[in-house]
Amino acid sequence: MWQRVNTVIGANPAPDLDAQLMLRVRDGDEDSFRVLLDKHRNPLVHFLYRMVQEQAVSEELAQEVFLRIYKSRLSYEPTARFTTWMFRIATHLALNWLRDEKNARGQERLDEDRGGDLPAREVADRKPSVEQRMVYQARLQEVRDAIGKLPEKQRAAVLMHKYEEMEYAQIASVLGCSESAVKSLLFRAYETLRARLAHMVTGGPL
Amino acid sequence: MNMICPLKSEETIDVLLDYSAGRLEESRRTLFEGHMAHCAECAAFLAGQTKVWQTLDAWEPEPVSMDFNRRMWQKIDAAAAAPWYRKLADSLRLGAWKPALPLTAALVLVAAGFVMDHQGAVPAAPGVASSAGVSVTEAEQVEKTLDDIQLLRQLDAAAGAEPGSSKTM
Repeated sequence: MWQRVNTVIGANPAPDLDAQLMLRVRDGDEDSFRVLLDKHRNPLVHFLYRMVQEQAVSEELAQEVFLRIYKSRLSYEPTARFTTWMFRIATHLALNWLRDEKNARGQERLDEDRGGDLPAREVADRKPSVEQRMVYQARLQEVRDAIGKLPEKQRAAVLMHKYEEMEYAQIASVLGCSESAVKSLLFRAYETLRARLAHMVTGGPL
Repeated sequence: MNMICPLKSEETIDVLLDYSAGRLEESRRTLFEGHMAHCAECAAFLAGQTKVWQTLDAWEPEPVSMDFNRRMWQKIDAAAAAPWYRKLADSLRLGAWKPALPLTAALVLVAAGFVMDHQGAVPAAPGVASSAGVSVTEAEQVEKTLDDIQLLRQLDAAAGAEPGSSKTM
């Protein structure tokens, strides 16, 4: 029985502390929800930001994710790792938003909007010259474009693998496909990125 | 111990991805480094992948708004104060009914089986379908009887018309 439960929860045999917190939320403990919110807010917003590439939208979507989690608390059962469930909701919302946005505005308008989101923290920390800033922004824009042009599933897989450091099994669970399909998705995605960023890659990293 | 080139199988392609990410476990890493020493393809792939990886590192997201939690709790409070039909619609949208789906399907199957099993035992209503079947049979029998009577009368008449016939029939 214990083995079956572990299999259901995920490949990692360690107890899922987030799931335990969520069970407390189910029992009416709002403080546990605050802990979950504080713990996962940044990774979730960052993942969504890299998916949709608009800061305000990524925060709205992240709030919708947490709201759905909160509303589902009474029927919550830890049948999967909490983060798998959370990223599954987030990916679903992000893909829906991208499709709606694509239909509503077209890809060209989306590309224009991405130009407005500049990472102010980078500028403040490094204090680069104007020229360095412009070069940095131009190269960063190329990275964002290269990822933004990946097919949606490949993009989600790369972001979860690269930035969230998720295991193949967990990515597979989020995307609803097999582990080998995830490996294949990632391989193709990185091949594409290598080709698109070749001119930057040969000169070294940003 | 040799290893199969990771580039030749999708199943083992994770070795390359994990190595460039610094996530490959010790035993596999040693094995892969032994392979890479004489596999130019893997070495070239790895060099490119490592640089892509480093390039992607530069993309840092913006910090999350300071009032994120406050807005979050406002939404939660608004959801709690929503009317019952909105909450019902939300629970349906969120799939809270999904766990009940197998049970519902099983109940429907049992009910269908019960109805089919007891259909023959249901007494026929004094109405349309079953009584129509009986009345068709009865009509045929009445019609045949009338035909027989008419035939007997014809025979009787014919016998009466013939000379020397008996009246005993």
